[in-house]
Amino acid sequence: MTGAWKKYRIPYLFISPFFVLFLVFQLIPVVWTLYISFTEWNGLGKPVWVGWDNYRLMAQDYMVSDALRNTVVYWISGVAIILLLALLIALSLNSPRLRFKRFFKTTTFLPYVCASVAMGLIFGMLFDENAGLINEILAALGGPRVPWLTKSAFAKIPVVILFTWRIIPWFTIILLSGLLNISREYYEAATVDGAGTWRQFFSITLPLLRHIMFFCMLTITVDTWKMFNEPYILAGPGSSNTSLFQLMYQYAFQTFKLGYASALSVILIVILLSISVAQFVIRRRQGEV
Amino acid sequence: MMARRSSLHSALLHGFMLLVALVCIFPVLWMSLIALKTVGERVTGFHALTISQPTLENFRRLFTLIPLWSNLFNSLFTTIVGTGTTLFFCSLAGFAFAKYRFPGRNGLFYFVIATMMISAEAGAIPLFIIMRRLNLINSLWSLIIPRIATAVGIFYLRQYILDVPDELIEAARIDGAGDFGIFRRIVLPNIKPALASWASITAIVRWNDFFWPLLFLNKNSKYTLMVSVSMLPVSDGLATPWPIILAGTTLVILPAVLYYLGMQIFQKSGSFAGAVKG
Repeated sequence: MTGAWKKYRIPYLFISPFFVLFLVFQLIPVVWTLYISFTEWNGLGKPVWVGWDNYRLMAQDYMVSDALRNTVVYWISGVAIILLLALLIALSLNSPRLRFKRFFKTTTFLPYVCASVAMGLIFGMLFDENAGLINEILAALGGPRVPWLTKSAFAKIPVVILFTWRIIPWFTIILLSGLLNISREYYEAATVDGAGTWRQFFSITLPLLRHIMFFCMLTITVDTWKMFNEPYILAGPGSSNTSLFQLMYQYAFQTFKLGYASALSVILIVILLSISVAQFVIRRRQGEV
Repeated sequence: MMARRSSLHSALLHGFMLLVALVCIFPVLWMSLIALKTVGERVTGFHALTISQPTLENFRRLFTLIPLWSNLFNSLFTTIVGTGTTLFFCSLAGFAFAKYRFPGRNGLFYFVIATMMISAEAGAIPLFIIMRRLNLINSLWSLIIPRIATAVGIFYLRQYILDVPDELIEAARIDGAGDFGIFRRIVLPNIKPALASWASITAIVRWNDFFWPLLFLNKNSKYTLMVSVSMLPVSDGLATPWPIILAGTTLVILPAVLYYLGMQIFQKSGSFAGAVKG
C-alpha cells in the first residue's frame, strides 16, 4: 500500500488542490445549505431546527413566485434570443461573401469583455423614462414614452436586452468554431447535387451543429438560473424583475433570514441538478457518453 | 438573375452585420462620450450625442467620491494573482490527468467534470460563513483561493497537454528531469497558446467579477473597482450625476476593451472548439 502511494504520489499531489478546494468551498457549502434550509438562523447564535417550515412559507410568498416566474422568463427568452441571434451572426461571419471579416469579428465580440455591472448602469440611462435615448428614438418615430424601469410590466425587458447583448458574442464564438469544423467538402458535394443555400443549411449545417447547439442551450440555462448582476443593477419596482438567485441574496444578506434564503438555494440546486441529469440522460440516449 | 440575387444577398448580409456591429459598439462609445461632458450639460436623449466642452473633470471627481487608487489596486491584484494561480494549478492538474497513469484516474476526471454541474453560487450562504471563520472577509484572498483550481480550467488545459508528445517527456525524464521540472520546462512551453487564451478569458472574467466581491468585501477601501462603480449612483446623494457615473464605468470597461483589442483574444476562434465540444 505504501509502495503504491509512493509510486503514484506525484499525480495525486498535482490534482489534490482541486479536490481540497472543491471540498471546502463547494461540497461542504452545498450540503450545509441543505441543513440551514431546515432551520431559522440570522447568522449569529445557533440555528433553530424548524423542519419544513421554510419550504411551506415559500409556497405562500409572492416574492418567491414572482422571482420564479421572472427567472423562467429570463431562461426561455434567453435561450431563444441568444441561440437565434448567435447562430445568425456566426453564419454571417462564416459566409465567404462577407468582407471586412476582421472588423466585424472584433466589433461583434466586443460586448463580451464589457462588465455587465458597468453596462447595466449605461443601459439604465439608455432606458430611463425621461432622459433615455431609447424613449427619445421612440418619440421621434411617433411612439409612446415607455416607463421601462418604473412599471412592472416592462421591467424585465431591459434586463433581457442587457443580458443577451453581453452574452451573445460568447455563443457566437462557440457556434462559429463549430461551423469552422464542418468540412467544406459537404457543401461542395451538396452544390454539385444542386442543393440551394437553404437546403444546405437544413440538411448539413443544422444537423452537424446539433450537439454544439445543445451544449449552448444548457450553458445558457445554467447562466440564466443564476443570473444576478443584470436585475440587481437594473432593479425595477418591487419584485417585478428580481431573479431567484437575487432574491436569495436579498433574504440572506439584506434581511438575514439565512434559513429561508437557504431553502431558496436548495430550489436552485435542485433545478440545476435536474438540468444536468437531463443532459446526461439525453446524451447517453444519443450514444455519446 | 443569379448575379442580382447574389448581390442582394450580399447587401443583406453586410447590412445585417453593420447593424450588429453598431449595436455592439454604440453603448460603449456613447458612454465614453458622456463621460467627457460637464455635469451641467444636458445628457438627455439626443443631446447626449454632442459635446460642447470635453472635460476630464468627471474622472477627477471620481477620486473624491471613491478611494479610486485602492479600488483599482484591488481589482488588478485579484485579476493578476487570480489568473496566475489558476493557470498554474489548473495546468498542473491537467498535466497529471493527461500524462500520468494512476488508480482512479478516469473516475476522478469524470468527477471533476461532474462538479461543473453545481455552481459555487448555490452555496453562497455557508461560503460566506466559512470565509468569516477563515477571517477572509474583506480580504482579497477570498476572491482568489476558492478558484485557484477550477474544473473548466483543468478540463480545457488537459485537452492541450494531451497533445504534448510523450517522447519529449520521456527524453526529459532520461535526462534526469524531475516531475515538476518536466512540467515547467516541457509541458508549459508547449501549451503556450492555450495558456494565453485561457489567461485572457480568466482575466476578463475576474476583472468583471461582481457577485463575489460584493459578498466578501464590505469596506470602501477593500472594494474592487467593479463594486465601487456599482455604488456610484447612490454615493452622491444629489440628482443622478450621469457624467460622473459613466466616467466610472468607462474606467472599468476601457481596460478590458483595450486589452481585448490589443490581444485579439477571440480571433482564433477555432481554439475554443476543443474546449467546448466535450
